[in-house]
Amino acid sequence: MAKHMSDQQDIPAEGCALSRRGFLKGSAILGGSAVLAERMQWIQGLVTRAESGALAAGEEYLLSKPENILYSVCLQCNTGCAIKTKILDGVVVKIDGSPYSPWSLAPHLPYATSPVDTAKVDAPLCLKGQAGIQHAYDPYRIVRVLKRAGKRGENKWTSIPFDQAVSEIVEGGLLFKEVPGEETRRVEGLRQIYALRDPKVAQAMAADVEAIRAKKMTVAEFKTKHATNLDKLIDPDHPDFGPKNNQMAFVWGRLKAGRGDLIGRFTRDAFGSTNAHGHTTVCQGSLYFTCKAMADQFVEGKFTGGPKFYWQADAQNSEFIIFVGASPLEGNYGPTHRSKALTEGITDGRLKFAVVDPRHSKTASKAWKWVPAKPGTDGALALGMIRLIMEQGHYNGTYLRNANRAAAAADKEPTWTNAAWLIKFNADGTPGAFLRGSDIGLKKEERKNAAGKAWEFDPFLVWKDGKAVPFDPNDDKNAVEGDLLARPTINGVKTQTSFMLLYDSAATHSVAEWAGICGIETQDIVDLTREFVSHGRKAVADVHRGAAQHTNGFYNVLAWMTLNLINGNHDYKGGLLKATTFSITSGAFDFGKMMPNKANPFGISSIRHETTYEESTIFQGYPAKRAWYPFSSDIYEEIIPSMGDMYPYQIKAMFLYMGSPGYSLPAGHTNIAVLSDPTKIPLVIVNDITVGTTSVYADYIFPDITFLERWEFQGSHPSIAPEVQPIRQPVMAPLTETVKVFGEEQPISLESMLLGVAEKLGLPGFGPNGFGPGMDFKRDEDMYLRMTANVAAARGGVPEASDAEVKLFLDSRRHLPKTVYDATRWEKVSDKSWKKVVYVLNRGGRFQDYDKAYAGDMAANKYGRMINMYVEKVAKGKNPITGKPFAGIATHLPILDAQGREISKLDEAKGYDLNLITYREIAHTKSRTITNYWLLQVSPENHILINAVDAQRLGIKGGENVRVTSATNPDGVWDLKALGKKPIVGKAKVIQGIRPGVVAFALGFGHWATGSSDFTIDGKLVKGDPRRATGVHANAAMRVDDHFKNTCMVDLVGGSVSFYDTRVKLLKA
Amino acid sequence: MLRSAPTRTAELQAMLEDVQQALKKSANQRSWIMVINTKKCSGCHSCAVACMAENMSPPNVTYRAVPEVEIGEYPQVSRVFMPTNCMHCDNPPCAKAANAITPGAITKQPDGIVIVAYDKFRDKKAFDAAAKVCPYKALYWDDGSFFTKALPVFEPYEQQAGFEYGARLKRAEGKSPAGSGRKCHFCLHRLNAGMLPACVTTCPCGAMYFGDKNNSKGLAMQLLAFNNGIRLKVSQDTRPRVYYLTSETGTADNLKACLACHGA
Repeated sequence: MAKHMSDQQDIPAEGCALSRRGFLKGSAILGGSAVLAERMQWIQGLVTRAESGALAAGEEYLLSKPENILYSVCLQCNTGCAIKTKILDGVVVKIDGSPYSPWSLAPHLPYATSPVDTAKVDAPLCLKGQAGIQHAYDPYRIVRVLKRAGKRGENKWTSIPFDQAVSEIVEGGLLFKEVPGEETRRVEGLRQIYALRDPKVAQAMAADVEAIRAKKMTVAEFKTKHATNLDKLIDPDHPDFGPKNNQMAFVWGRLKAGRGDLIGRFTRDAFGSTNAHGHTTVCQGSLYFTCKAMADQFVEGKFTGGPKFYWQADAQNSEFIIFVGASPLEGNYGPTHRSKALTEGITDGRLKFAVVDPRHSKTASKAWKWVPAKPGTDGALALGMIRLIMEQGHYNGTYLRNANRAAAAADKEPTWTNAAWLIKFNADGTPGAFLRGSDIGLKKEERKNAAGKAWEFDPFLVWKDGKAVPFDPNDDKNAVEGDLLARPTINGVKTQTSFMLLYDSAATHSVAEWAGICGIETQDIVDLTREFVSHGRKAVADVHRGAAQHTNGFYNVLAWMTLNLINGNHDYKGGLLKATTFSITSGAFDFGKMMPNKANPFGISSIRHETTYEESTIFQGYPAKRAWYPFSSDIYEEIIPSMGDMYPYQIKAMFLYMGSPGYSLPAGHTNIAVLSDPTKIPLVIVNDITVGTTSVYADYIFPDITFLERWEFQGSHPSIAPEVQPIRQPVMAPLTETVKVFGEEQPISLESMLLGVAEKLGLPGFGPNGFGPGMDFKRDEDMYLRMTANVAAARGGVPEASDAEVKLFLDSRRHLPKTVYDATRWEKVSDKSWKKVVYVLNRGGRFQDYDKAYAGDMAANKYGRMINMYVEKVAKGKNPITGKPFAGIATHLPILDAQGREISKLDEAKGYDLNLITYREIAHTKSRTITNYWLLQVSPENHILINAVDAQRLGIKGGENVRVTSATNPDGVWDLKALGKKPIVGKAKVIQGIRPGVVAFALGFGHWATGSSDFTIDGKLVKGDPRRATGVHANAAMRVDDHFKNTCMVDLVGGSVSFYDTRVKLLKA
Repeated sequence: MLRSAPTRTAELQAMLEDVQQALKKSANQRSWIMVINTKKCSGCHSCAVACMAENMSPPNVTYRAVPEVEIGEYPQVSRVFMPTNCMHCDNPPCAKAANAITPGAITKQPDGIVIVAYDKFRDKKAFDAAAKVCPYKALYWDDGSFFTKALPVFEPYEQQAGFEYGARLKRAEGKSPAGSGRKCHFCLHRLNAGMLPACVTTCPCGAMYFGDKNNSKGLAMQLLAFNNGIRLKVSQDTRPRVYYLTSETGTADNLKACLACHGA
């Protein structure tokens, strides 16, 4: 039977002769004010019908009226797309993408477009964003403060008044005397922990602690000098632990700016604790910290100042992208934003992309090539390509030969590298520091910094025309270029360039051997390389957590970023971009000057970040008891386990905001064990919207307001070219209880909790004149409106809102209560910036126009500085467990545990022979989307993905229950302590699209709280919803490191957790 | 494949203009069609969820579905994503079956949309008959349930009056569409307001297109003119209005694979 594959009869026969341009009335191509006018014209046309009265009453679509729409920013995942929320009688009933934002549309609408005209223009938004309504309107949301009525984790709660909760945590006492076993446990309150309150004393002590670390002062001398204040220290015999204030730690999960500034202000500037730690290493840690190390600049004699950031592809313009452990169609940052760049590109033929991933992701399903490399071999793949490129001469030599700023400028290059710089060798033959002028008899130069402080400049050297040439990396006048292929011996000192060091690393194996390490074909490396060198600067490697979350994560990322570097694609259109945001801390209000009586926190942090073990007073040789992290911060996996070990010291009070380390971390159960023991961390206070997977173990849960009810400044991502600042603002009435702080009625939230504690404790920087004379800080908007004013002021400022726009602003907020909004109050705080604030908030933030985001063939918002191919700082560092030096160049390392053992091979020998990885489904984020019933309709549960060959071998059928076990969890069970034990069991899904030997599960399921189970509040049973209890969460099977004993495996350089290196065995459940 | 617009922004603009032009004509001069490019579809289900939110549909009523299938053997693997909803057939078998039991339950409008009369389509027998003959599984029964009614708080977003068909109906009060048969209506209420269907605007991959078949210059018709479009199950003479583009060999092969099991 003939299949009618197409039915031509009702499609017009004419082969349309219209040109592309003619059909679209010239609006398709960017450029020029004519386009701007045209674009605004077509939008205005949309309101004509309504205005002409053509709409019948019964048809009136209220959600398309501008006064029923408020612009804000989603937080269903960290992509943070700008959204239009549509409100009916005060209820948010629909969320769509905002056409003002480059996340949603590229090109996005001109910023000047009136919100009246955007009312009918809905932009793309992913399913999580659409489901944001169900995140806010969640039947399990808590609205009053909960205090545990039983043991930690028993899940019995009493709701208590806010004032009582604040009082208890500040004053301490016999807070849990009703709990059996805790009748006499006296809890130290914040008031006692807030021991050192004199910033001058703190400053003096801090300076002397530095002297101790530099061996210029002894501990005994310190104790004599500071005798009257020794009682303020955690341990006078270890002054480098800092003051008792450090025993209060503030920890967070999904935090953005605004709230981040507030937490920093509370913790560091007011309370004087150095312990404010985020979650970065559970996400992409090593990706950030590798790029941070590559971005260090040479400042007054040191390599420093690298921001915590990374680069991503300008996918809108790239011609060839290799996605390494990245799936923009499912996760990354993020589907709504990056999908169109990919789908447009492959439809147009502009873009070809490859995906390196052991799983055939949705991104792989659209790719030219899927490269199913073994997990953790990403660095090897990049080095194979680098070897091929170097040997074939396809590296960007002109770019790499530039040694300093002047040389780059002469070539009109926005960046330069240290590829040509000479490096000397240590006595043992390992690469050491850069060769300096003083090494070959040149004089150092006396210089003064801007403040008049003296420092010595010791020049660097390149090799050119048979001579060593000294130079200053930042010299913008004398251009210096160096030979790349140099290995000169100068005055008896053996040296080579960073470039040759890279080659040595790449040449450790043949291309075929590199392919073998990855478990792929040599031809794959050849094909990838051929494409990579065929598109000029528009070929780029885009890396995400798939490469970073391994014990060798830092080096995987370094290898791929080095590949990008030798192509010279940083800051080029189609190459690598960095994120650029409008400042929130200065412009109209200088927050740097708005902290009266600012504290001076000092001391080793509880996670021992940005400090070295060797200089501490607890240095006891190798191995260190726990890891130290000179090159990273926000080391999530260290936070609670270190508190469990009380290393370096005990934490007495921990705040936790919007984070669930017990759920999110690999081997998160170790965190649950620490939290369950109140003698470890005596006071645990969590901000959460439900009783969640970690907050269930808290002493107090302060309910928070969701992203639809509050403020925040979302920031940007490296894949966004324009300068932006998306602003989250209240679009609905808050659902939490109203309380009074500093005399102001406001909802219980993170802000009111901190303000309440500050009020009770009398902390500087809060309350009347908290920001300075005449500037109170009594409610959240006092901070956030001023930050919005700063955004509005940047770069010459935005226009002032017209009267019509002011009217719209007021109308569209008619449903908001005074607890979160009052026009008179807002105008007073915003002061002269009011009408600009209105303009910005009417658009949900500020977004640079698309045509301004590029300048010729480059990005307009450039990184524009030096990039380190050789990271000398890391090469000078020592592994705190083995005492061995770290490599400073892209290197392939096998998967190693903290003791340096090839642990995966050891586990495989014990029969744990499947490599467990995780992945992201677009339908879910880690711990908060399980409450979204619309999402559960399309994705009700997850599975253990297994290749058909492995399933066959193990006798596992699709749909069958399997238990996930490992060497450190042979029973395959979550030990949830007071909550009981939960087997790690999920349904197998047998597929072709995963590398044999690898098994995977999607994050977001297998919950034990968050409304999935029964619990008790005020003696009443609240029944859980079984729809939230589906699926499996196998993090407890992820390997615990044998040296740390209570922490997962880690990347000792970049700080990342190892998510993808555990070997497991699947048992029939 | 040949595109007629280089960016999604330009595509959305062109489609909105097409809708605007159509609204200037009388309803019987409009002829709505949907065009889907499965090459761009990543099976994210954003369309399905946007539809749930837009139409305030209760549990188990999902006008839109995106089935997927894996083809091939490791490592030569491919995945096909197949968004579907009511095809708004010109010869709708659902209407014949339903109206035989309840006259006027389902009506084919002059603009091409097949609509349901919520106040009439309430006989389960009529629904079952219609659902059985629909080759596209497009019909859903609203059994009156809610996502949150049985939970600690019955949330307000489930208690609002919807916008379907321009009628403000509050199913939370036990009225229709609770107790009615339901299906996709091409977001008629949005079309009449000069906007595109929710699934079309929300698609992050830009796979969704919509327009007026009577406007040969509109984007939807231009895409069909420049690319091959197929419809599903044409052998059953339903004459559907949802077209799938197949000018790419890969896409065509994938769709052939679907049709091999599901039939043409």
